[in-house]
Amino acid sequence: MRKFRHIITTLSIAAIAVVTSSASASEKMVKLKDGRVIIKTHVLPFKKKNIDGSAPYKRHGEYVGPYRINPQAEKVAKKLPYGQKATKEEIKAWDIDVRPDGLGLPVGKGTVDEGEALYEKKCQMCHGDFGTGGKGFPPLAGGDHDSLKNQLLDPNAGDEPPVRTIGTYWPYASTIFWYVKSGMPFPHPMTLTDDETYALTAYLLNVNDITFKNGDDIEYLDNKNFLNVVMPNHDGFYPDVDGPHAKQNIKNLLAHPEKYGDVTYRCMKNCIKGKVPVVHITNELKGFNPPMSTKRDWGGMNWILPNAGHKESFEEKVYNKVCSACHSNKAIGAPMIGDKEAWAKVLKKGIDKVYENAIKGVGAMPPKGGTNLSDEDFKKVVDYIISKSK
Amino acid sequence: MAKKLSRRSFLKKTMAYSATAVAAATALVPEKAAAKEDPILKKQPWEVNAGDPVDIHPYGFPSPYEHNVVRRTHELLSSGDKRASVAMCPIHELDGIITPNGLFFTRTHGGIAQIDPNEHRLMIHGLVEKPLVFTVEDLKKMPSESRIHFIECPANSSTAWRGPQFNSLQFIKGMMSCAEWTGVPVRYLLEMAGVKPEAKWVLAEGGDSSHMARTLPIEKMLDDAMVVYAQNGEALRPEQGYPLRLLVPGWEGNLNVKWLRRLKLGDKPWHAKEETSKYTMLTPGGKAIQYFWPMEVNSVITNPCPEKPWTHLKKGDIVEIEGLAWSGQGTIKGVDISFDGGKNWVPAKLKGLVLPKAWTRFSYIYKWEGKPLLLCSRAYDETGTVQPTVGQEIAKMGVEAIYHRNAIITWEVKANGEVNHVEIRKPLVDIAKEAGWRK
Repeated sequence: MRKFRHIITTLSIAAIAVVTSSASASEKMVKLKDGRVIIKTHVLPFKKKNIDGSAPYKRHGEYVGPYRINPQAEKVAKKLPYGQKATKEEIKAWDIDVRPDGLGLPVGKGTVDEGEALYEKKCQMCHGDFGTGGKGFPPLAGGDHDSLKNQLLDPNAGDEPPVRTIGTYWPYASTIFWYVKSGMPFPHPMTLTDDETYALTAYLLNVNDITFKNGDDIEYLDNKNFLNVVMPNHDGFYPDVDGPHAKQNIKNLLAHPEKYGDVTYRCMKNCIKGKVPVVHITNELKGFNPPMSTKRDWGGMNWILPNAGHKESFEEKVYNKVCSACHSNKAIGAPMIGDKEAWAKVLKKGIDKVYENAIKGVGAMPPKGGTNLSDEDFKKVVDYIISKSK
Repeated sequence: MAKKLSRRSFLKKTMAYSATAVAAATALVPEKAAAKEDPILKKQPWEVNAGDPVDIHPYGFPSPYEHNVVRRTHELLSSGDKRASVAMCPIHELDGIITPNGLFFTRTHGGIAQIDPNEHRLMIHGLVEKPLVFTVEDLKKMPSESRIHFIECPANSSTAWRGPQFNSLQFIKGMMSCAEWTGVPVRYLLEMAGVKPEAKWVLAEGGDSSHMARTLPIEKMLDDAMVVYAQNGEALRPEQGYPLRLLVPGWEGNLNVKWLRRLKLGDKPWHAKEETSKYTMLTPGGKAIQYFWPMEVNSVITNPCPEKPWTHLKKGDIVEIEGLAWSGQGTIKGVDISFDGGKNWVPAKLKGLVLPKAWTRFSYIYKWEGKPLLLCSRAYDETGTVQPTVGQEIAKMGVEAIYHRNAIITWEVKANGEVNHVEIRKPLVDIAKEAGWRK
């Protein structure tokens, strides 16, 4: 490649951080054959980069990068008299993670059938029948593994999007178990037993048509057969972070910016040939909450304290903290607070039946909404919702 | 009553403003000073009435005139309720490099936990000599460090992979903010617990209802990771993880685990939900990138922007073009600006503090000629990495990656000063064909 080196310019780069800056540099503009004029940046050598491709802080005396530090602090760290030894019981109570190699899997067992019953009771209202989603929460099943090769570039040409569900995308079954156990059901996590978690995991694998690696159907899962599950997309990710070369593999990607689309030159002139191709917004997303405005008008004091002068009642507090997760969310299908029609229909059953359902639980609603309030207190909350829906 | 008086006069004024405002399709027109009454010639209510007593509120608030400077949400960016959701930072209204705590962008996976600090603990266990439990007070008594760093959600700009959709800087780039953080380096805590040689990875987990957890390499934990309890001089806000948060400077917002309660050391990564099903980048060919931690070099022009157009400028007016640049891989080295959509570029000036893994302001003094522009910025950092064009990024990553989009952002400035979000690129299919992954 023929290069011209006639055009030389000096870039003054603000060097505020005295210790980190390596002074300004005169950088060469290079004219390429295709007419572009570029400046190649000073690339930090691979060897000098950290594992994430970042530049290490320059350490110098009492400086780490631009910050001054107290070097004595570093030396005393080990001697600090804080922190208590964690007891075995404490560790056990919090040690909830589960790894793909089975580390952390508790003793337990659950069947697909048990999982289905649980799913219908505790999950279906958000995740849809058989994990199909469609209520504003993620679908858990469906799609083809092959769809991951799709790129939706042009819907008019028949392009389809990739479908990322448990069955098509998730690499490990352990992640399902751990996430269901620690994060679900969304309004009340950590309330499922280990057996229930095995059952739900088995059910979710079942609706995703996932079998054991020998091809046998999954009828139940326990801590022994769990590792016989191999997910369809188990080798769908890179770099390899599990083998002995994990850290090198990661650095090999992260410290080579050109591998993820970044570049190491600045094109300064003639960077686009011909007309500049401009893509405008075709379907503008609006509907910001609150609406967009840059006006400096009198907002009153209410914007700061929206409930100024308004003391939240006990019922309101319970509603906001507990009930609103379902009764303020249309997608879930519970009667919405303020929906007169829906509540009139509910009340046709008689107020005693409404109380009874609320206290004992009905459909997807857990007894007393999952609270441990007294019957009398919970009735007050029901009254509050009804009063707001008349 | 002073308040009543002032409110009435401002209502009147507001009405006058809205009558004169020219409504463009979506561009916002900033208020102009009213020409009718000279504010110097008239007595203002606040000069002829004593103001509020100093104890009106023990914890202060912004002026009520700033009520539009708030975080905003959009239903497409949240799950079914507002607990697994994101509130965008109004970066079009910010100055300098520090985000006020009440405006810091907020992403939660199980709602905002309100944790009693007396009941909160941080546990360090797994492959350590001596598993330890710290109270929040323990950590506050230890030697501390304060650093200025941005936190950015890797899904920032994720709505733009197939083309621009939002005509708003707040919604294009508002999943980020920058603050001064104070806390204890994680390496102090690990030294106290004694790291076993086979420990290569650390699981960080929150104590909120999502119990969100992520795997981090021990290298980062021994470098600049901190357990922070303060943000901009005060305790963390609940929505930022009060009382404790992990800070991993420059890395995905999601890795900066809020409500931090547990660090577990291990010999292998955990493959948590947020590092398998989410926060992985699907590339052409169907394989996804995992464990991609740093936020790449990036920049955006904040003035002008769709919310802050140049509709007030006359031909020949001098104006400052200003913006933000940042990199999770080091210090910003420089920023270039283009007025013609990236055909030709000129260097801008950096200004203010230029710190590693922090927001950095850039500036360019410009004479407005009243002619349409395609205005964009491009940053590069101390590793020599340069922000890519949209085409360069898509050629490598495709359009289904969701995360880590750092391509150049372009504003179309119209002759009347209106500003719209556009993209400079060929049709997606052409980019894909040239890159070789679409026949």
